[in-house]
Amino acid sequence: MSTSDKKIPQLVIRDEFIADEIKDAHTGDVAVELSTLEKIWNINGVRKASILLGLVVIWQAYTVGFDVEPLMFPTFSFSLEKLIADLLSGNLPPKIWFSIKVLIIGYSAGMVIAAVLVLWATASRLGSDFIATATAMFNPLPAIAMLPLAMLWFGLGTASLVFVLVHSVLWAVALNTHTGFRNVSQTLRMIGQNYALTGVPFVVKILVPAALPSILAGMKVGWAFAWRTLIGAELVFGASSGSGGLGWYIFESSQNIETEGVFAGLFMVILIGIVVENVVFRNIELKTVNRWGMQR
Amino acid sequence: MTPLVPQIVIRPEIETAVGEADHGEVARQLTLWEKLVDMDPVRKFSILILLMVVWEAYTQLSGVSELILPKFSSTAAALWAAITGEQLMIMVWNSMKILITGYVIGLVIATVLSTAAIMTRFGSDVLSTLTAMLNPLPAIALLPLALLWFGLGSDSIVFTLLHSVIWPVALNAHTGFMGVSETQRMVGRNYGLRGLTYVVKVLIPAAFPQILMGLKIGWAYAWRTLIAAELVFGGAIADTEGTASGGLGWFVFSNQMDMQIPHVFAGLFMVILVGVIVENVIFTNIEIKTIRKWGMQAQ
Amino acid sequence: MTDGAQAAAGVSSAAAAVDPILDVDGVTLQYKTKEHLITATYRVGFKVYPADRFVLLGPSGCGKSTLLKGVAGYMTPVEGNMRLKGVDIKEPGPDRVMVFQEFDQLLPWKTVKQNITFALMNGGKCKTQREADDLAMQYIKKVKLDRFEDTYPHMLSGGMKQRVAIARGMAMEPDILLMDEPFAALDALTRRQMQEELLALWEDTHFTVLFVTHSIEEALIVGSRILVLSPHPGQVKAELNAHDLNHGNMSSPEFGELQTKIHDMLFADRILEDELQGEDA
Repeated sequence: MSTSDKKIPQLVIRDEFIADEIKDAHTGDVAVELSTLEKIWNINGVRKASILLGLVVIWQAYTVGFDVEPLMFPTFSFSLEKLIADLLSGNLPPKIWFSIKVLIIGYSAGMVIAAVLVLWATASRLGSDFIATATAMFNPLPAIAMLPLAMLWFGLGTASLVFVLVHSVLWAVALNTHTGFRNVSQTLRMIGQNYALTGVPFVVKILVPAALPSILAGMKVGWAFAWRTLIGAELVFGASSGSGGLGWYIFESSQNIETEGVFAGLFMVILIGIVVENVVFRNIELKTVNRWGMQR
Repeated sequence: MTPLVPQIVIRPEIETAVGEADHGEVARQLTLWEKLVDMDPVRKFSILILLMVVWEAYTQLSGVSELILPKFSSTAAALWAAITGEQLMIMVWNSMKILITGYVIGLVIATVLSTAAIMTRFGSDVLSTLTAMLNPLPAIALLPLALLWFGLGSDSIVFTLLHSVIWPVALNAHTGFMGVSETQRMVGRNYGLRGLTYVVKVLIPAAFPQILMGLKIGWAYAWRTLIAAELVFGGAIADTEGTASGGLGWFVFSNQMDMQIPHVFAGLFMVILVGVIVENVIFTNIEIKTIRKWGMQAQ
Repeated sequence: MTDGAQAAAGVSSAAAAVDPILDVDGVTLQYKTKEHLITATYRVGFKVYPADRFVLLGPSGCGKSTLLKGVAGYMTPVEGNMRLKGVDIKEPGPDRVMVFQEFDQLLPWKTVKQNITFALMNGGKCKTQREADDLAMQYIKKVKLDRFEDTYPHMLSGGMKQRVAIARGMAMEPDILLMDEPFAALDALTRRQMQEELLALWEDTHFTVLFVTHSIEEALIVGSRILVLSPHPGQVKAELNAHDLNHGNMSSPEFGELQTKIHDMLFADRILEDELQGEDA
């Protein structure tokens, strides 16, 4: 053992010590207030708004300064004017409403079918196997690829749009809800059974809230797919279905080489997307999973 | 409340000698049948077969028109014919080529953006503003602009694919980085890691579940965008660059136009097949080799 | 330790006057894992009388948790039977409320009070929300959590969560309260405090509790009667009295003697592989 010359340090036994009293600490200023400017700059919204403003200024300066051909890249102000003009003239609002209406119908129908499928999957192993197989197969299939078939079966109309929307929502929601249910902890399940909950009450009172983070995630993915599918489908087939939606407005503008109209349409698409994601879904999350401490 | 509180009943103690002999079976192997029925692939595969049988039987018995719903057998035959005789595989490859180009360039840009975002607060602000604005914008909506700027051709599709990949990947990588636990950060610093080595050795592995999630969402968006773009403009591209250069989406659309419905189904099969391979083979394997092995699987 | 004559006298008077609440007779329990069918307990029998603090004690793999789940109705025995007040146990029910070890046993989407009223309303204990609220508050005060009744579980410490779970179980006033290592995930100081509080609560109403633990010390403190189980599969080694032991006499020779006795009993035929085993399922 003692191959090295190193001496092993020994314990130093010293007197015990008990403090008689704890004195007040004198450490000077504990907290210094930040200046008003620093405080304002620390607000997230302020910084992001200024970045947004910066981007708009660069866009405007580039297009005006270099005298870019408006057919290729219109100025920001021109695009904004076009948006406001079309909103006020009543040209755009019905198109927006058309898109939103189709989206809501397709989304709700998809949710209902997903709920039925998942209930079946919860009740029986066959259902569970079926849903696993079907989602594995249909989730990777872009809903828009079904559009040619939908047109064949339902004709050129809203029904076809709804069909592809259902397809885009259904599998994402069903898959996430099903995995969410399966991952509900054994303890929570036993608690539910302990209070004699079975069947639908058990699903509603235990499984759904316990799996809500996963269900919400599925609903968000479903929304994102549905929104993308809808705009894509309208770009192509909106015109044939009568009034046409927002996607058709973009396509029409580009066909007429009114590029400022394309940008106006894109503004609107972004706006709706932001409202749904950052207002609707965000609020649902804040009121549920965030409040319950089930997320982050 | 009970008026009378019950009292403990004191009773004699008992000690038993535990016999080793008469246990019966403590643990027994499950039978082969029990195991087989419990195997996921077996059960799923039987469901697939069942679905095919139902499909074939329905179309055979109801006499539904091949133009509405073709038989499973004619779909399979069409798929075979398309693969052997009609260059379906070349079309699949055309699609994949564009997809890979867009996906890879998108990843590079997303990496640059999210690295900038963890280095400086300005970068982080720019990234979160851009993603908040552009992530909800369906990439396909940019296709008309892309056609205007880059003309009819695969360049335009690559441009829209970029857009569909960059934002989800950058957004998820960024939230992943932000969510790396303070403890793991401190451990990294403790061993003297800084700068790029710190990012590569600590942040990326620690945020990998989120990063992988971003990669998967990016793929899903890109795949959807590609098929949609090909459905719409595949024909125009095929016209300018020769018929064989159309992709999978175009195969589906042109066959629908020609009322070759079994071929439409065959094309959809191919779309599913590519999707299943990417999601269940490529991504699942990455997952198994990384976050599952590390026990970092979320949920 | 226990005076034989006194115990015998206790029995003769009791056996005539009181019926057991829970009668477990020759119960064998099995469960399936991916590869195996495991026998968790083999022909285990015991009787729990009213006011018992009955402890199931044993090392990992003795099937004590499985036994508790059997009593709760989550598992059906392959042989033998379990009767609660003379009625066969078939499925889970609110007459046997379970308190788990895991902190996630509280519903995260309900506040402390709502967690208790949820049990009261769904378990059929209370008819109106008002009645449930009142009863819930009564028990929240008992476990000293007033001020926290509107807090969501994720804001509470581990000890506080277990207190809510205990309050929820007691508010149901079940025939028997089943506790599955409820204090095992707590730190040592909190655990001791919780044991004291549980005993103080018991002093109020003498509720019947079936308590699972793998700590000999905890068994002696909490339990009035201890069922010692051997592992692989779980079989009864002994049934011992510990009603005289508590935190107050932990340093007494009786406490030490019984502790040593049980320790020797459990480890006399110790199988080394047990050390590697995890918790029994």
